[in-house]
Amino acid sequence: MEYLFHVVVIISIYAVLASSLDLIAGHAGLVSVSHAAFYGLGAYMAALVTVYFRAHFLLGMLAGITVVVAASLVVSLPSLRLRDDYFAIATFAFQLILSNLLNDWVTVTRGALGISGIPRPVIFGWEPRSNLEFAALGLSLVAVAHVVVGRLTTSPFGRVLRAIREDEVFAQSLGKDTLRFKVTVFGIAAMLASCAGALYAHYMTYIDATSFTLNESMLVLSMVIIGGAGSRWGPLFGAAVLVIIPEALRFVGFPGPLAAKLRQLSYGGLLVFMLMVRPRGLVGRYGFGR
Amino acid sequence: MRNGAHLRCDDVVKTFDGVRALAGVSFKFAPSGITAIIGPNGAGKTTLLNVLTGFLRPDGGHCFLGDLEITHLRPHQIARLGVARTFQDLRLVLQATVLDNVMLARPLQRGERLLAALLRLGVSKQEASNRERAMDLLGFVGLEGMGQDLSSELSYGQQKLLTLACCLATEAQVLLLDEPVAGVHPEMASRILNLLRHLRDAGKLVVFVEHDMRFVRELADAVIAMDDGKVIAQGAPRDVLERPEIIEAYVA
Amino acid sequence: MQTFADSVLNASWIMLVATGFALIYRCARFFHIAHGAVFTGAAYFMFSLTHWLALPVSVAAPLAVVLGSLLGCEMEICVFRPLRRQHASSLVGLLASLGVYIVVQSTLSTIFGDDTKTVRTAGVAEGLLLAGARITSVQIVTFLLSVVVVSSVAILLRTTRIGMLIRAVANDPELSVVHGVENDRTILLAFALGSALASLAGILVALDVDMTPSMGLNPILLAVVAVIIGGADSTVGIALASLLIGVARHGAVLCLGSEWQDATSFTLLLVVLLVRPRGLLGRPRQAVGA
Repeated sequence: MEYLFHVVVIISIYAVLASSLDLIAGHAGLVSVSHAAFYGLGAYMAALVTVYFRAHFLLGMLAGITVVVAASLVVSLPSLRLRDDYFAIATFAFQLILSNLLNDWVTVTRGALGISGIPRPVIFGWEPRSNLEFAALGLSLVAVAHVVVGRLTTSPFGRVLRAIREDEVFAQSLGKDTLRFKVTVFGIAAMLASCAGALYAHYMTYIDATSFTLNESMLVLSMVIIGGAGSRWGPLFGAAVLVIIPEALRFVGFPGPLAAKLRQLSYGGLLVFMLMVRPRGLVGRYGFGR
Repeated sequence: MRNGAHLRCDDVVKTFDGVRALAGVSFKFAPSGITAIIGPNGAGKTTLLNVLTGFLRPDGGHCFLGDLEITHLRPHQIARLGVARTFQDLRLVLQATVLDNVMLARPLQRGERLLAALLRLGVSKQEASNRERAMDLLGFVGLEGMGQDLSSELSYGQQKLLTLACCLATEAQVLLLDEPVAGVHPEMASRILNLLRHLRDAGKLVVFVEHDMRFVRELADAVIAMDDGKVIAQGAPRDVLERPEIIEAYVA
Repeated sequence: MQTFADSVLNASWIMLVATGFALIYRCARFFHIAHGAVFTGAAYFMFSLTHWLALPVSVAAPLAVVLGSLLGCEMEICVFRPLRRQHASSLVGLLASLGVYIVVQSTLSTIFGDDTKTVRTAGVAEGLLLAGARITSVQIVTFLLSVVVVSSVAILLRTTRIGMLIRAVANDPELSVVHGVENDRTILLAFALGSALASLAGILVALDVDMTPSMGLNPILLAVVAVIIGGADSTVGIALASLLIGVARHGAVLCLGSEWQDATSFTLLLVVLLVRPRGLLGRPRQAVGA
């Protein structure tokens, strides 16, 4: 039973990541492979603030959000004017640099040793202890993310995003400051990712840089593409599917690391397959790049 | 929205890879009416439109809307000043409905601001009034009842009508139309041209790039003839179109 | 002095990878990230040849280059050519290439494991002391080979018929369907040649510092930066850009600490993206024409 709730927590974290990435990649057409970088920044800030400064969990989340917004601006402002694949390359570069930084800046991040002993969050006196309670917390976060993304995408704001995705020049000719929209939405997605990171840090109580690599970003992107970009439930569906695969493999007897590699192999392959055959994904509305 | 402000360009120059697409174009548009821009392919007509609407930065010269210099403004800023345009290659959000496209064009939408969108502050009321206006405009251009259709499913001519509706939805005073009737059936063409007449009567400035001289003769109050990036003639249609060098520019 | 030598060495293999990458980019019109997988794959091909078939390095290396080149060709035939048929955008090409990269990396990881493998026959080479810097023989070979090979490629592009074909396809904005078959063949050639360059670089680096399945990621990033800074159609530009990156990285290690070495490359990339005079705005089909 505990195991089941553990899976729910993990799915929740990825659901938040996938929903927020879908906001920018699925709705606005900004494909980013740096989502794990913001996820990692959120996790590390939460860890650093609560472990070394012994500050409150919410302060850690706030620190994460602040850092992540600043970082997102560094990436987005120079590169959002460019063609979509140039933007993707810029996010690619950012992801790699951040991974290396998290790994090598040993004085701050303790490098490969990671940060352990991350305290459990305390929210208005309530401290989740069991997996069930964390699952509840996780699902609440998913609900918040879903509402935020839903509100944005079903409003005139979302209408402009979809216009940007399809024909940015047209949107500009109608008086829309498309750069502002893109920068804003990229920042929002980064903030949601950092919240997921904070949850991850407090749940696992230990983090290191290996959880926030390009592979992780690609996994989240695959969830979006496989589940279906630009739809309400696609990212959640994709998150569930891609989390359950290695868990199922482990059940059947594959050792942990091998299961992880096989998952990687399968989502890489699924990604290529989807792009070639069914870019709309399994439940999505938007087909990439046609 | 600047009503009655003059759109004008002074000595605009634009070079691409050594070729002068615009070699010093100066023109002052009337505050309202219909002006046609004619000229052979490569004369620089679309380039001029792109410079005026901010999609291209000129290498020399200035553009003004009334007293305001708009030379270095970005496209969305110029659009917000009341200058709408269409494109030679039809541009729309094809995956959105007809109504969505027109509503997209509505200016000053509260729901486009982040906080208002998240908290739904007064958004639905504005959306309702925008929807009403959008439906009116669809009726005006002759697309009534097609609001929920997917824009990609419209015929080419209907899509052109839709882009016109979008221009009108911005409440622009100046409309720059790049070949508004190219590639459409004659019946649809006269429908569109009739709409342009209505717009002129409503006091707007309509500038359109056109190849068919019949339409120019029928519709235009003023004509600008371009060739090789320069204005070679301007004035009333009957004067400009009879000129030998114009006829030659087209035949040659 | 050691720093300078390190920079030049770094620049050498960046140049090799970047030249190959640029060749593919010019013809196939997308960022082929899986180029980094070819880099890694070739190194592991050589490992397999030396360990399982007991071939000497002098035989295994050229063979591995050929195998790596074939790997690149296979990617083109199986994935990118079908995508091109469907008029997929350059973004989709990039994403597919990322997917292929993941598939190859996880396959290598599953087969060979994540631990460092070596193909070095003698122990850790001490290296000669030249003008105050320690340089091993492998490193000298790397430098010489990269200069020779890249120059040869440049000459090939200029003077031979094959080179002219490649440049013709690179300059053709429409990739006209009329010449479809010729285009396909030329693009395949570009993949073959480009992948061979990446393979060579991977083998040389593996001979210098051993190999892991993820070794191709950083090199491809640096190659992309070199191509963007130097310009895809300028061999000299790429060479200079590679040198710039090498110097910047090792300079950063000297002045700031090794954790910042990739951040400098990223900063370089961002600065170039900001300042680049040629317009990169919007998707190709969205670019507002004259």
